[in-house]
Parts: sequence; structure tokens; C-alpha cells
Amino acid sequence: MRSNAATVAAALQVPEEDIREGRPGELVLDVNAQALPGLADRVSQELEGRLMSLFASDERDQTAQFRLHYVWSLPRFQTFLLLSAPINPARPSFPSIAAKYPAANWFEREVMDLYGLVPDGHPNPTRVALHEDWPDGAWALRKDFPEDRNVPRVPGDHHPFRPVTGEGVFEVPVGPVHAGIIEPGHFRFGVAGEPVLYLQLRLFYVHKGIEKRFERLPWRHGLFLAESISGDTAVGHALAFAHAIERLGNLEVPPRGQALRVILLELERIYNHIADIGALATDVAFTVPASRAQALREGLVRTQDQVFGNRLLRGTIAVGGVKRDLLPEGREVLRTHLRAFGKEFERLIALLVDAGTFTDRVDGTGILTRQAALDLGIVGVAARASGVDADLRRDHPHDAYESLQFKIPVEDGGDVRARLMVRAREVEQSLEILDQILDSLPDTTCATELPEHLPPRASALGWVEAWRGPCTHFVATDERGEIARVKVTDPSFLNWPGLVHAVPGNIIPDFPVINKSFNLSYSGNDR
Amino acid sequence: MLGIISKSLRTGTLTEADPFGGHASFGFPVMDFSRCTACDECVRSCPTGAIRAVPTTPDGKLISLSYASCIQCRACVAACPEQAISVSTDVEVAAYSREQLARTASFDVDPVTGRGTFRQVELEAGLSLADAAARLKERIRGRLGRSLHVRQVDAGSCNGCELEIAATTNPFYDLERFGIHFVASPRHADALLVTGPVTRNMEAALRRTYEATPEPRVVVAVGACGCSGGIFGEGTYAALGGVDRVLPVDVYIPGCPPRPQAILNGLLVAMGVREARVGTR
Repeated sequence: MRSNAATVAAALQVPEEDIREGRPGELVLDVNAQALPGLADRVSQELEGRLMSLFASDERDQTAQFRLHYVWSLPRFQTFLLLSAPINPARPSFPSIAAKYPAANWFEREVMDLYGLVPDGHPNPTRVALHEDWPDGAWALRKDFPEDRNVPRVPGDHHPFRPVTGEGVFEVPVGPVHAGIIEPGHFRFGVAGEPVLYLQLRLFYVHKGIEKRFERLPWRHGLFLAESISGDTAVGHALAFAHAIERLGNLEVPPRGQALRVILLELERIYNHIADIGALATDVAFTVPASRAQALREGLVRTQDQVFGNRLLRGTIAVGGVKRDLLPEGREVLRTHLRAFGKEFERLIALLVDAGTFTDRVDGTGILTRQAALDLGIVGVAARASGVDADLRRDHPHDAYESLQFKIPVEDGGDVRARLMVRAREVEQSLEILDQILDSLPDTTCATELPEHLPPRASALGWVEAWRGPCTHFVATDERGEIARVKVTDPSFLNWPGLVHAVPGNIIPDFPVINKSFNLSYSGNDR
Repeated sequence: MLGIISKSLRTGTLTEADPFGGHASFGFPVMDFSRCTACDECVRSCPTGAIRAVPTTPDGKLISLSYASCIQCRACVAACPEQAISVSTDVEVAAYSREQLARTASFDVDPVTGRGTFRQVELEAGLSLADAAARLKERIRGRLGRSLHVRQVDAGSCNGCELEIAATTNPFYDLERFGIHFVASPRHADALLVTGPVTRNMEAALRRTYEATPEPRVVVAVGACGCSGGIFGEGTYAALGGVDRVLPVDVYIPGCPPRPQAILNGLLVAMGVREARVGTR
């Protein structure tokens, strides 16, 4: 591993001893904030790094400073690189990298909204997390901001949408309350006739203050909150949180616990992918496969209920392992169900791709090009459908994935069809993974004992390739070993700009199917 | 086309004639107060404050458990040294007020050992289930009939409740056969099915959706967060808490998330077809 640090140090032109391997798979480099743009260039160009998260923390009680953190994935080295820089509260600003690295765009603005640290040179330094009726200076994640502060509303709740003008051009506002059973957000379409010229988003309607709340809960209760970051990713986020705590506390998860986590994560992937595939059929009014997909999903969540005690697999992940073992009877139930599921699933996909009424609507619809996906830092299913071959299960292996044989399906089309096919192929791979792991469950305990306290003033990164894409949690403790900071990054936060790029040029009636093909979480984004 | 027809024929009917009923050990915690020693272990284990202990006098204490904020994590079941907490089989839980979802007992506390002895179960404030049911029926009587058009509003949910609400429309539950239909606009709706916690950023949209719904309108709060703020709490800088902090709520469906059958049951309660039950306690 030391050779990794040496190579990275050489590429970044910093002394090798400055880079420390904080934890396995996690290199840490403390730098000066002014050096960040130059380092971003070198990480991106020399090391093929991809920006996964960017956030601040308030360490004024310890060091009298704020701190910025940049999490880069370096798949070539199977390691993350955490660049961290102190910010003097007397000069609360930092150099922006958003113009060159659009993935930093929302992250930097969120730091501005919640910490009052201003990204210098940001091309569009407007609010992203706080709506316009929040007063200036409501820096909610600063330590001197109490969680229960009643923030007064200021008049003038008018989001500054960019006007789209021209002959015959008009705007279509949609949301935040939508027509279906989905989460709230506002879409503003600039259209000329049916084709969309421009799409603008306004999100953060469901901002619940989750990161602040983590700081108030005892660390053992954090897992329950992690499960509610995005209800459809209960396993993914709980696991990312558990990973961070385990790495922070140097806890070793027993092999059986790791294997069971893979089962839970792959089941979550399957039940969500099948629901999305059905929803795509619904959105093009192809009802037979839509109904079949719903039935397949319900059958699977009922089996999950039977085997793991919860339809949506909540309460299954524990810090240190899993909460419930999989007994031999449960294993048989699961195996039998998955075998039948696999056959049905194959027929369902055939039904879809053989139907001209379906392919007509999804082929060439909502294209996100590979270059756009790379430039925007798109992750997960959406990235792999645009030809970007990235998956944390292989690039930064966690749990039992290193010992398993599986492929990472990648499609080149970047359209709705490609995102559908990536999901379909991933379900097949998940079934393969489950087949392997159900046959070889290690015979150990499911979870390790937890310590009374976590190490004080420590930090660690936890990550998981969940069904939508990577979930990362950065956890830091205070002097008592309680939680001082949790930064949650849901793949949706990185992928919403991808939707904005995929929609223009398409007609408004195709928006629902494009949106569904990304299926991003509002709650995970807004937190 | 032939494939589609043959597929449909082969599949047959998936819809369950009776989607209701209990589930062994999938319900809510039930406290056997007579075994409880008021040691407060469950209070400390509860991540949402669903179990609370309030000292009344130096030698008295109240312990209450509210399903409104219970996320069914069962931490209390594991924490109780007296094995006084079990899990019910009741999953179709609904009520007409937050108080009806709570159960409170008073204890005499030994000043030396701190050990509590169960005194009695206290009466909750407000209407009984039967009286509240009658009142709701009175209000909607003859107006909504045996059908209910529902607008769902996510006012801050994690989307777990949305997954289970959507599941009520799948072929197994098929809620439309009960006369319930999800509509695209509040202007078409008789009822709002609201999930929470109501965030600061959704408060105005929720109020406006309510105002756009014609009278008589029924508001149903779904999930621990919709009933009480749940794990996200109440009165934080970003979240107001339960739906009743913003709108008058007629029916509460607790759970994290409530199962599709519980949501279906709650909607039938809102129609006056079923009466709310909180279950064995």
C-alpha cells in the first residue's frame, strides 16, 4: 500500500511523508486551501480521480478553524484520496473548482449555504440548499447554530429561474407536489411547442436537517437515521454509515456478517431495479409488463419480509455486522424464490425489448453522452449506461465482494434504453452473486461486539455501491467519542445535473420516462 | 401480442380476496406494565422518544409508549431486563388522534432502590376511538359515499412510505376495488394522504394543497414521521414535525413505514367504512 502513497505523492508533487494512509483504502493529505485547484487538476489528470464528495466541518472549538474535505475516488489504486484544508473563520472563503469540475458545483454551494464559507470564483454562487425565504446567515451546520432554532422566514420567496425567451417560447412549471406518488421537487421547463429547450431544477423541499441530527443522536442510534436518508436505500445508507463507524472504531466484521450484508445489498438492488423497470413500462403505458414487474417486486419484498423480518430490509444492518442471521430454512426460501424470480424476470425483459411500442419510446430518448457523464461526475447506474465503467464493488471493494465473481454491465447508448438495460443486466448479476454467496455462507458469528465508546477525535470514510450508485458517509467524532460530523452523499446529489443535460431536445411527454430512467432520490439529495 | 395475451392468461388473478390480517411478530411493541420496574432502559434505547418517562412526584413516575413515533426497531424489546415488552401481531393500526396511539402508566417509585411498582394505566386525553369514529362519520356522512379520491403529498418523507403507498396499487392489494383512487390534483381529491415530517420547505406547498382540496376533505397522516416527526424530531430548524403541526389530521397511520395493508386499512377508516383500531395492548 505504501507504493500507492508514493505514486500518488509523485503525481501530486507533494512529499511522500505528507500522505498518510488514514485507514485501508483511504489516503489523507492535509493541504493549504489555495493549493486545492492545482491539486484537483493533478488528481483528475494524473490519477484519473473522480470527485465523490466535498464538504466542510466546523472545528472551531478544537482548532479555531473550519475544515474543507474533498473526497476523490482513485479506482486505479483502489483507494480514496481525502484532501483536507483548514479555513480561517476571519476569511471565510475558499477557491472554487466548480468551473472546471462541475461535480463540485452543488457541493460548494451547499458549503456556502450551511457553513457560510464562500467559494471564490464559482460561476453561479447562488443558494442551492436553502430556499429564498431563509434569512442570510442561517448557517445550520455551524456548531453554534442550535438544531431547534426557529429560523424566521424572510419575504420574497422567488427562486431566480433563468428566463428562457424567444418567439413562441414559454415556461412550464411543475411541482413541488407532483401528479404521481413521488417525492417533491420543482421542475421548470423552457419549451417551444413540445420540445424542451432548457430544464431547471429547484430541490431541497425535503431538507430535514439529517446531518445536523446525526450530531445530536447517540452514535448507536445513528443507524436508524441512516436508514431514513432515502427509504429505498435503507440497506445502502445504513451500510455506508456502519462501514464508517467500523473503520473509525477499528472493528472487524465477521465473514458471515460480511456475506449477509452482500445478500441484503443485492436484494435491495433487485427489488428497486425491478420496480424501476416496471415504472418505465408504466410511463409508456405498456401495462402488462408494468403489472408483471409490480407483482415480481411484491413477491420479492414479501420474501424479504419472511426471511429478514422487514419488507424493505430496514433494521437488518448492524454496526459490526447484521442484526439477523439467515437460518437454513430462510436460505432455502430465498433460493427457491430467486430461482423462480430469475426465470420470470428473463421473460419480462424479453416482453419489453421485443415490443416496438416500448422500444419506440425508449430508444434514443434522454441521451446523456459519455463525455457529459464524465464531465459532470455522474455515478452509478446512470454513469454505466453512458459508458462510464465505475462501480465501487470492484473499484473499492467492501464487504465480501472481493471474493465474488461478477461483471459490471456497461452500456454505451446513454439513453433510457441503456439505463433500462444496465438495470436488467445488473439484476442478472445480482442473482449470480446471490447464488454464489448462498452456497458459501461462512460459519461464523453475524456481528462483532461493540465498544462502549468510539475513539475520540477520529474520522473515517464509509462507502457502498448501493443500487442507485455510491453512497458515502464521512463520520468524525468529538473529544467524547460522540458524533461530531456526518457527511452523507447520496448518488442522487451527483446525478441530478445529469437529468438536466439529458432532457433538452426531448419532448415534454417523454420527461416522465427520462426522469424515471434516472430515478433519483429527492430525500437522499436534500437530506 | 400473442405473447402478451398468453402471459396474462397464464398469470391469472393475483389480487388477494382479503389482504388483511395479523402478522406474527411484525406489529408494534406492547408493554406489560405489571412486569415493568420503571428502570428506563427502554427509554434510553428508543431512538425516537416513543417511550418516555416523566417523574411526577419524588416517589412517582409516568411511563408512556406512543405508536405515533415508534419506528418498530424493537430496540426496547432487546433492552428490557424484565422481558416486559413484546411485539404484537397487529399491523393494521390507525387512530383519530395522537393521544389514542399512546398508552401511559403511573408507577410508585421506591426512593431508596429507585425501583418502580405499577400503579395503573392512565386515561389518555381526548375522545375515545368510538366517539372519534362517530364524529368523523358525522362530518363526511353522505358526502363522500363509498369512494375516496386521494391526493398523496410527500411533505418531507424519506420515500419509504411512498414505496408502500405505491404498493397498495399493485395487483396483490389493488386498492381501487375498494373505491379508492389516487388522483393527480388536489382539486379532484376528497382526501390528502400526507407523509412527513413536514419540512420548513414543504410547509407552504402543503398548506396550498390543502386549500386547493374541496370540502369536506379528510387528512390522513402516514408513517411515524407524518404522525409525529419520527426519527427526524419535531421543531428542528428544518422540520416542523408531524402533519398535525400544520393541518388538522383526521386519521393517523403509524409505522415505519406502515405496510400496504395498514395504509389500505387507514384509508378505509378515513372513508368511515372501517373503525380505527390500535390493537392489543
